[in-house]
Amino acid sequence: MSHSKITLTRRGLLASAAGAALSAPMVNRAWAADPVTINMLAWYGHAEPDVVEEFEAENNVKFVPKYYAGGDNMLALIAQSPPGTYDIILSDAEFVQQLNAAGYIEEMDASLFPFDDFYSAYQKFPGHWTDDQLWSVMVRFGLLGVSYNTDALTAEEAMSYNAFWNPKVTGKVGHFDWHLPNMGQMSLLMGNRNPSPFDISEDAWEAVQEKTLSLKPQVGGYFDYGGTFSSLKNGEMLAMCGIGDWITGVLQKDGAPVASVIPQEGGIQFTESYSIGKGSTKQELVNKFIQYMLSPRGQLRSIQMAAYPALSPTKSGWKAIQEANPAEAERSGLIEGHAQSPIRLLEEQRVFFRDIPQQQSLEDWNDFWSEYKTA
Amino acid sequence: MAKKTSLYEYAWRLPLILWQGLFFVGPLLLMVAMSFWLVRNYRMEPDFVFNNWDRMLSRDYFWNAYFVTFWRATLAAILASVLAFPASFALAFRASDTVRRWAVFFLIVPFFTSYLVRIYAWQVLLAESGPLNAIIGFLGLGPFTMLNSGFGAMVGYMTLVLPLVVILQTFSLAAIDKSLIEAARNLGANPRETLLRVIVPAAKVGLIIGFVFAFILSFGDFVSPFYLGGSNPPTLSILIVDTTKSGQQWPRAAVVAVMMIATLFVVAFAAVAAAYRKRS
Amino acid sequence: MRIGSAISWVYVAALFAFVFAPIVTSMVFSFNSDRFPTVPLGEFTTHWYETAFSRPEVWTAFRNSLIVAASAAVFSTALGFATAYTDFRYGFRFKNAYLALALLPPTIPLVILGLAMLAWLARLGLSGTLPGIIIAHTVMGAPFAMAICRLRLQQMDSALEAAAWNLGASPWRAMRTVVIPFCAPAIISAYCLTAAVSFDEFIVAWFVSGLNKTVPVMILEILQGNVDPQINAIGTVVFLTSMTLVILAQLLILRKTSS
Repeated sequence: MSHSKITLTRRGLLASAAGAALSAPMVNRAWAADPVTINMLAWYGHAEPDVVEEFEAENNVKFVPKYYAGGDNMLALIAQSPPGTYDIILSDAEFVQQLNAAGYIEEMDASLFPFDDFYSAYQKFPGHWTDDQLWSVMVRFGLLGVSYNTDALTAEEAMSYNAFWNPKVTGKVGHFDWHLPNMGQMSLLMGNRNPSPFDISEDAWEAVQEKTLSLKPQVGGYFDYGGTFSSLKNGEMLAMCGIGDWITGVLQKDGAPVASVIPQEGGIQFTESYSIGKGSTKQELVNKFIQYMLSPRGQLRSIQMAAYPALSPTKSGWKAIQEANPAEAERSGLIEGHAQSPIRLLEEQRVFFRDIPQQQSLEDWNDFWSEYKTA
Repeated sequence: MAKKTSLYEYAWRLPLILWQGLFFVGPLLLMVAMSFWLVRNYRMEPDFVFNNWDRMLSRDYFWNAYFVTFWRATLAAILASVLAFPASFALAFRASDTVRRWAVFFLIVPFFTSYLVRIYAWQVLLAESGPLNAIIGFLGLGPFTMLNSGFGAMVGYMTLVLPLVVILQTFSLAAIDKSLIEAARNLGANPRETLLRVIVPAAKVGLIIGFVFAFILSFGDFVSPFYLGGSNPPTLSILIVDTTKSGQQWPRAAVVAVMMIATLFVVAFAAVAAAYRKRS
Repeated sequence: MRIGSAISWVYVAALFAFVFAPIVTSMVFSFNSDRFPTVPLGEFTTHWYETAFSRPEVWTAFRNSLIVAASAAVFSTALGFATAYTDFRYGFRFKNAYLALALLPPTIPLVILGLAMLAWLARLGLSGTLPGIIIAHTVMGAPFAMAICRLRLQQMDSALEAAAWNLGASPWRAMRTVVIPFCAPAIISAYCLTAAVSFDEFIVAWFVSGLNKTVPVMILEILQGNVDPQINAIGTVVFLTSMTLVILAQLLILRKTSS
C-alpha cells in the first residue's frame, strides 16, 4: 500500500514539474498575436536580435535562422530541403549565379530597391543580373587580408601574406575552414592579379597549390566561425588565413590584441546578398525586410552587427555611420576620400571581388583543400 | 498450442523487424546505394557508377584520414583499457558491494551530461591561456599547447570512453570466481602471475568488449577531433561532414561511411572471435 | 598490501577527477563572469542563464527536446520490451539475425547514422520535422530499452507465465496480469533512460532537424557560432533534467529489488 502512495506522489511531482516546465515560457513571454515566421538561410548572426529585433517588432514577424558556413555548404543545405523551406537566403555574391542556375531563387523587382543610393561600383554586381532581370540584392561586404595577433607580429610584418610563414607563428597559423578565401589569398601572394586571383591558368593553379602545401608545417588548425573566433581570442592561434576585419573587428571591441590589414599583395572582398527563396509564400514581407536592411537604419545595424561587422554599399549608409559612430566610420574607412576607403581600394586594384574559380571547377579547389587538410 | 500462440508470438516479434527494417536497415541500404549515384548541378541522380568509389579510394586525403582515424582509435582503445584497468581492479576486488554500486552509478552519470558541453569545458580548460596552464604556470612551467593536437583529441576520446570501459571491466572482473584466485595463491603463484595467468584470462571477454567499444566510439567520433583536435588532421567523420557540406557530394560521403562500417565490422568480428576463442 | 590498496584508491580518485573535471568546470563556469575563463575566476553571475533563457528560441528548443524525448522513449521502450520478451520466450530460426538487428544500432557511428537517416527521411518527407527526429532516436534508444527489459525478464520465473496459461488465462491476459507488472520497474527505467539518451543526442538530430532545433543542436550551433558560456548554462540545465530522469529510474530499480 505504502508503495502505491509513494508512486502517486512521485508521479504527481513529475507531472507538475513537467507542466511547469512546459508552461513557463508561455507565461513569461506573452507575445502579441502569433508573429509570422520567416525562415532565413544565412551566415551566422544575421537573424540575431541585434540585427532583426526592430524589424520583428514593427512588423510582428519572427525570423527562424539556419546558419551555414561557405557557399558550397549553403547550396548543400538548400538541396536537402523541400522547395519553399527558406523564405530569404543570404548568399555570398559569387554563388548567386549557381543559385539561379539551380532554380533555387525567385526573380526580384528592381524598382523596389534604392539602387540610385548605391556607389556605382556595386550597382550592377556581377552575377546578380541577367540582362535586366534582378536575382539578388547586395547588402553588405567586407575585406579579407592578414589577421594577426599584434603581440606576435608587427604591422609591417603583417603587410605581406608571407607573414604566415614567419617562424614567430609556427604552429599557430589557423585557417578559416573554407577553400575560397584561403586559396584566393594564396593566389594573390603568387601575384595572380590580372584579371583576378580566381581566374588563373592551370600552371598558376599548380604553383598556388605547391605554395599552399609549403604552409602546412606552420598550421595549427582549421576552424569554423566559432573556432576561428575563440582560438584568436584566447591566443591559441596567432595568425589567421582567410579572414579579415569581420572577425578581428569583434575581438578588438572585446579588448583582444588582434588586427587585420590589407597586405601589399592585395585583399579580397567578400560580398553578401539577399535573395528570395523559390516558392516562398512571404515574398512581400521579405522585400520589405530587404528594403529595411538597405535603409540607413538597417545599414547601421549591418555595419555594427554583433556577430561580424561589414561595410555598406550605399551612400546613405556611409552618412549614417559617420553621424552615429564616427570612430567606427574612421576605423573602417567609410568616408569618401579616406585612404582606406573600400571604394578607393577597389579602384586602385588593391582588393578583388571573391569569385568562384574561373578556369578550374569549384570541385578541384575543394578537393585540393581536403588534400591540404590531411597533408 | 503452437498454432494458437502464433499470432501472439508474431505480435511481439514483428514490431522490431518492421521498425528497424524500415528505419535502420532501410537508411543504411540507401546509403550503400547512394555511393553509386551521381551528382549533377548539386542534385543527386540515381545511377550505378563507380565514380565515387574510384575517386575517393584513389585520393591520398581519404587514406591519410583513414589511417589517422584508425591509428587514433587504436591508441584510444589501448590507452582507455590500460588506464581503466587499475581502477576496475580496485573496484572489483577491493571495494564493497555498496561502494562498487555507487562507483558504477557515478560512472553512468557522465553519459547524461551533454558530451558537447564536456568538450567545450575541456576546450576552455586546456587553452593556452586557460586554467590548467595557469596552474602549471604557478609551478614555473609551461605554457603547453594542448589544444588543436592529437593530445587534445585524445583527452576528448578518454572523456567519451573511459567511464564505459571502467564499467565493463569492473563487471567482468567482479564476476570472476574468487576461489579461482585463492587457488592460484595457494598453489604459490605470486600476485603478478595470478593477475596475468588467472585474472586476465578469466575476464578476457569483458576486457575485449571494453576495448572494442572504446575503438568503435573513438573511430566514429566527430566532436573531439574537431573541437579539441582542430581538424588537424581531419578524421573520417570530419571528412564525411566536410564532404556533405561541399557541393552536395553525398555519394562520396557514403563511400567513406561504407568504408567505416566495413572497418568496424571487421574489427568487431575479429575481437569477438578473439574473445571466445579457446574459451576455458 | 596496505600501501598498495592506498595507491589504488588514489588512482581511482584521480580517474574520477578526470571524468568529472569537465562536468564540474562547466557548472562553475556557468556562474563565472568571464567569457573565456581562466584562474583566478571572475565574479559570480547569473548573466549567462539570463541571456540564454531570455531567448525564445531556447525555450522552443526545450519544448522540442521534451516532445522528442518523451515520444521517442515511448516507442523505444515498447520496441525494446517486445524484443526482450521475444528473446526471452521464443527460440526460432534466424534468431541471431533478429538479435543482431536489435543490438547493432549503437555500433554505427552517429555521423553515418545521421547521414543515412537524413537521406532516408527526406525521401519520406520527414526530414526537418520532429517526427523525423523521434524516429531516429527510437532506432537509437530501442537497444538500450531491450537490454534493461531483458535483464529484468531474466529474473522472472518462467514457470510463472506458464502457470497463468495453465490456469486458463489467454497469453494476452497472462502478459497483462503477470509479465508486465513484473517488468514494470524495468519498463519505467527504460523509459527514463531512453528519454535521457534522446534528450542529449545531437549529431543525428543536427543532420535531421532542419529548422526544428532541439537543445543539444542549439548548443552545437552556439559552439559553431559566437561561443560563449551560455553553453554552460544550458548544459547545466540539461544535466539536471537528465539526472532527474536517471535518478528516478535508479530509485525505481532499487525500490523493486529491495522489496
